Amino acid sequence: MHLTALLWVCMQAALVVAWCFTDMETGPGAGVSTQPNGDRFKIEGRAIVPGIKTQDWVSTARILVEGEEYVGFVRTDGSFAVNDVPSGSYVVEVVTPNYRFEPVRVDITSKGKMRARLVNYIKTSEVIRQPYPLQIRASGPHTYFMKRETWGWTDFLMNPMVMMMVLPLLIIVLLPKVVNTNDPEMRKEMEQSMNMLNPNPELPDVSELMTKLFSGSKGSSKAGGSSKGTRPAVKRR
Amino acid sequence: MAKLILLCLKFIILSSAVEAVFEDQVGKFDWRQEYVGKVRFSHFDTHVQSSKKVLLATENNVFAALNTRTGELFWRHVDKTGPEGNIDALLQHGQDVVLVVGNGRLLRSWEINVGGLNWEIVLDSGSFQSACLVGQQDNVKHVAVLKKTVISFHYLSNGHQKWIENLPESETVDYQSVYSDGNGEVYALGIVPHSHIAIVAYSVEDGEIIKQVTMIHSSSIKYSLGLEVAPGFHPVLVSTQPNPGRQPLSEFFLQLGPDYYQLLQLNNGQIVTLRDFKPYLFSSLQASSLNLFSAETGRRLLDTTLIFNMDPYGGKPEKLHVQAFLKKDDSVGYRVMVQTEDHTLTFIQQPGRVMWTREEALSDVVTMEMVDLPLTGTQAELEGEFGKKADGLMSMVLKRLSSQLILLQAWIAHLWKLFYDARKPRSQVKNEVTIENLSRDEFNLQKMMVMVTASGKLFGIDSKTGSILWRHYLDNIPSNAAFKLMVQRTTAHFPHPPQCTLLIKDKDTGLATLHVFNPIFGKKSHVSPPALPQPILQSLMLPLMDQDYAKVLLLVDDQYKVSAFPSTKNVLQQLQEMASSIFFYLVDSTQGRLSGYRLRTDLSTELIWEVVIPAEVQKIVSVKGKRPNEHVHSQGRVMGDRSVLYKYLNPNLLAVVTESTDLHQERSFVGILLIDGVTGRIIHEAVQRKARGPVHVVHSENWVVYEYWSTKSRRNEFSVIELYEGMELYNSTVFSSLDRPHAPQVLQQSYIFPSYISTLEATLTEKGITSRHLLIGLPSGGILSLPKMFLDPRRPEIVSEQSREENLIPYAPELLIRTEWFINYNQTVSRVRGIYTAPSGLESTCLVVAYGLDIYQTRVYPSKQFDVLKDDYDYMLISSVLFALFFATMISKRLAEVKLLNRAWR
Repeated sequence: MHLTALLWVCMQAALVVAWCFTDMETGPGAGVSTQPNGDRFKIEGRAIVPGIKTQDWVSTARILVEGEEYVGFVRTDGSFAVNDVPSGSYVVEVVTPNYRFEPVRVDITSKGKMRARLVNYIKTSEVIRQPYPLQIRASGPHTYFMKRETWGWTDFLMNPMVMMMVLPLLIIVLLPKVVNTNDPEMRKEMEQSMNMLNPNPELPDVSELMTKLFSGSKGSSKAGGSSKGTRPAVKRR
Repeated sequence: MAKLILLCLKFIILSSAVEAVFEDQVGKFDWRQEYVGKVRFSHFDTHVQSSKKVLLATENNVFAALNTRTGELFWRHVDKTGPEGNIDALLQHGQDVVLVVGNGRLLRSWEINVGGLNWEIVLDSGSFQSACLVGQQDNVKHVAVLKKTVISFHYLSNGHQKWIENLPESETVDYQSVYSDGNGEVYALGIVPHSHIAIVAYSVEDGEIIKQVTMIHSSSIKYSLGLEVAPGFHPVLVSTQPNPGRQPLSEFFLQLGPDYYQLLQLNNGQIVTLRDFKPYLFSSLQASSLNLFSAETGRRLLDTTLIFNMDPYGGKPEKLHVQAFLKKDDSVGYRVMVQTEDHTLTFIQQPGRVMWTREEALSDVVTMEMVDLPLTGTQAELEGEFGKKADGLMSMVLKRLSSQLILLQAWIAHLWKLFYDARKPRSQVKNEVTIENLSRDEFNLQKMMVMVTASGKLFGIDSKTGSILWRHYLDNIPSNAAFKLMVQRTTAHFPHPPQCTLLIKDKDTGLATLHVFNPIFGKKSHVSPPALPQPILQSLMLPLMDQDYAKVLLLVDDQYKVSAFPSTKNVLQQLQEMASSIFFYLVDSTQGRLSGYRLRTDLSTELIWEVVIPAEVQKIVSVKGKRPNEHVHSQGRVMGDRSVLYKYLNPNLLAVVTESTDLHQERSFVGILLIDGVTGRIIHEAVQRKARGPVHVVHSENWVVYEYWSTKSRRNEFSVIELYEGMELYNSTVFSSLDRPHAPQVLQQSYIFPSYISTLEATLTEKGITSRHLLIGLPSGGILSLPKMFLDPRRPEIVSEQSREENLIPYAPELLIRTEWFINYNQTVSRVRGIYTAPSGLESTCLVVAYGLDIYQTRVYPSKQFDVLKDDYDYMLISSVLFALFFATMISKRLAEVKLLNRAWR
């Protein structure tokens, strides 16, 4: 249902484009089955796999026209011809197990005039011309495989969860050692910067809470027993 | 914006959650076997001494080169099916092979080293008769093609036509063969039945007729030889011409009876009988011995007898392809490729050593089933513990202990075997699977594939390795037989052997026979199937079992009488009890009639409904029910607002596909009817205008997916229909077709699919928890695993909060083909005709077999492997982390102790 609605829009949009190739109306589609003795034409072209010798891939290649309706084979030099094709509009594909080729739509009029255009299944009458005889260049090898998630130290360290855990730990452990907290000037400076960071003094400050919590636990652990140490922190909350 | 990003993210996650093959999994649990089909022409490549090629042209329109040492394919070219791809002749010269294709329509030349095409030209229409290479003074440059009315002459190098001439008096003369002996002339030979033989000689240079000879029948019989022709047999003459540039051998064979040959020699106009070959084939083959005879003298050559064992379950030998060569000591050696009735190729070397065999019957698999392997003794013992009723605590404990002991014993034996094998060199270790050591594995991933081929040969193939474990050739199978394979008893009912039944039906007469066999060993069962004198219309397996746990097979004949197999008293009694709830349907596609029947207690039937689809307007193409072994885990779908949309799970639902008889692109249509098979109620009807077949359908759970060709937009489209009960279930405990007052809600959506498809199937798992995928066989040979999620009529056009909650993908008209979704990576399956899916013991895993010209077996994990550790599970990491933590605690403990001690001293 959606499809038809969308199609209609597309059709209207592309109407202008569609009529510029008038002969097309006579040929396509059902003509295949109704006129077996009509004129037969030849689709020609060349398939190229850049950087690979033709003899390494031609033996596995096939040219499929409209699925397996018409089948052609690739010559040893990479060129191909599909014989015995009646007039109509066809999708021509070069099929190899290892290289990817883009399909091309070839229109053949009843008089044997040919043109090639890009395949567009949504805007079916859109015409973006392609060279004819076809020049189909492989766009690279097929990617059949997913990459395994390999494991490395960097992956582990760059994991956001690990970062979130390790960085605060470093700060907690290292900061008191770097900064001398016993220095009164320093302490004043820190408090000032804390106030700057925390514009709303009514909200409980997380960092303050944390420092108090940890300094508290530090102090209490000296007294012995960590279970006691947590208690003041809870109280303060 | 943020929402959009979130949506995109979700989409990416969803699409990446789809499974794909990893590179290191290649060949781990999948395999492919490539076939070519029944051989029509073969030619040993002898132009290079060391060549290992044999060229084959087959009935399946395949042209291939095989390695004669291993039997593997060098390359293979698959032409289109049907008469247009038919290979009429194969001629080899040097490294070029010329093929005449499609009843003389095309002439192709192939380069056999690379496997590429040299040239291809179109010949004029006319039915093909014969072709030959034409040479002059050992220099072969041309090829002559004889058709019904014309003879044409082409250059071998580029295919260009040198000349073409009409044959004289072609209306009366039946030209049959063309021949040249390298003297600059080409002869076309024709006969006028009951009158005379006509020979026309053409000049090689310009096609001018040099002379025309007619031989009157009576005058041609100059030398009478007192030969006796078998009654009703048309004698055939076989002669050979090793080099097209020279005269053929003066010796020739005359076939006088089905297996009666005579070797004759033409010597200065005199015909001499050299030898009689009474019950022999070409170079004589009796039972399983093979001799080579000298053509010049008719004497048997010494030391050329070759004895080999024929497969007792195979067919009779049909054809021999001999490759003879001179050995270093100038004696004659030969290799032979034996082709048997069951399309098997066996390559034998002197003295009787089988180099390889190829089961070409497997290129034409018609139907298949996967059967669980039997449990081993120990496994059965363990299983038995759970099955039995408890008899006292003490004995239970003892049993438990003893079974644990058995397990331990088996494990130690396994370890010992590993250790023992490890000491031996790798080449000696045999890991061959034989029928004897077959047993079910832990997760039931290894099964027996029972394959039925069109030639009537049955195969049992191990699904893990692809090795053929048994084969059984059924002779006297009609050429147009239809097969239906059913598993009557699985391996679960020890000590009763598993049992499969193959229904073989002649399509013309409708007469059927049953072949009952054991699917694990391939042996014919001792159970004698009933004789079926009447044509069979329908067969159905009932869930009923007889006292031996064999499911009951009902066969409906053309008198609408039902017979049961097995038909013991017990079964008949059960049937009488159940009769009122056994319904079946019949399809008559020629009259467009679909009718439903009910079984009566006396095993007659009564018609209860009938749907007539006017055959002038549309014809029934296929009727699909659901698979009986399919499980649906969830009754409904949870919506975004936490309510539940219940699925309409009617097990009796049939999807009927019709195509219009009018094929005009404006008026053709494809229709789909959903009919309840019990009541005949039409649940839903949909028509796709401006569409035509071939239609591929999958019907499962509460959905039907079908694919058709849209003539208007010239593209393939998928359409999905889903049926829902609504927000509440009418009767949640049991589904009855007779008591469902509410019609289901029907949702439908269509999509563009950017390729043709060859076949369509859905994955199947043990409990139906795993999400479903569609397996789509493409003409390119790929098998695409498309998540059903993409074919969901609830995919929204406008994304809302709720649809996002439900993980619905926004609607997009075009479905994508991603090569990562190809389950068979570059192991393409040519002309895939069917995909078979079977559940394994693991819920996440579905076994898949795709068959066509090739056979490909693999496993798929539609929702990834959620129930087992993945095979890339990092054991190293987890163990190293554990060890590191362990040592860290040890060290820190020690350090803490030291610290405490120090503090105490302070």
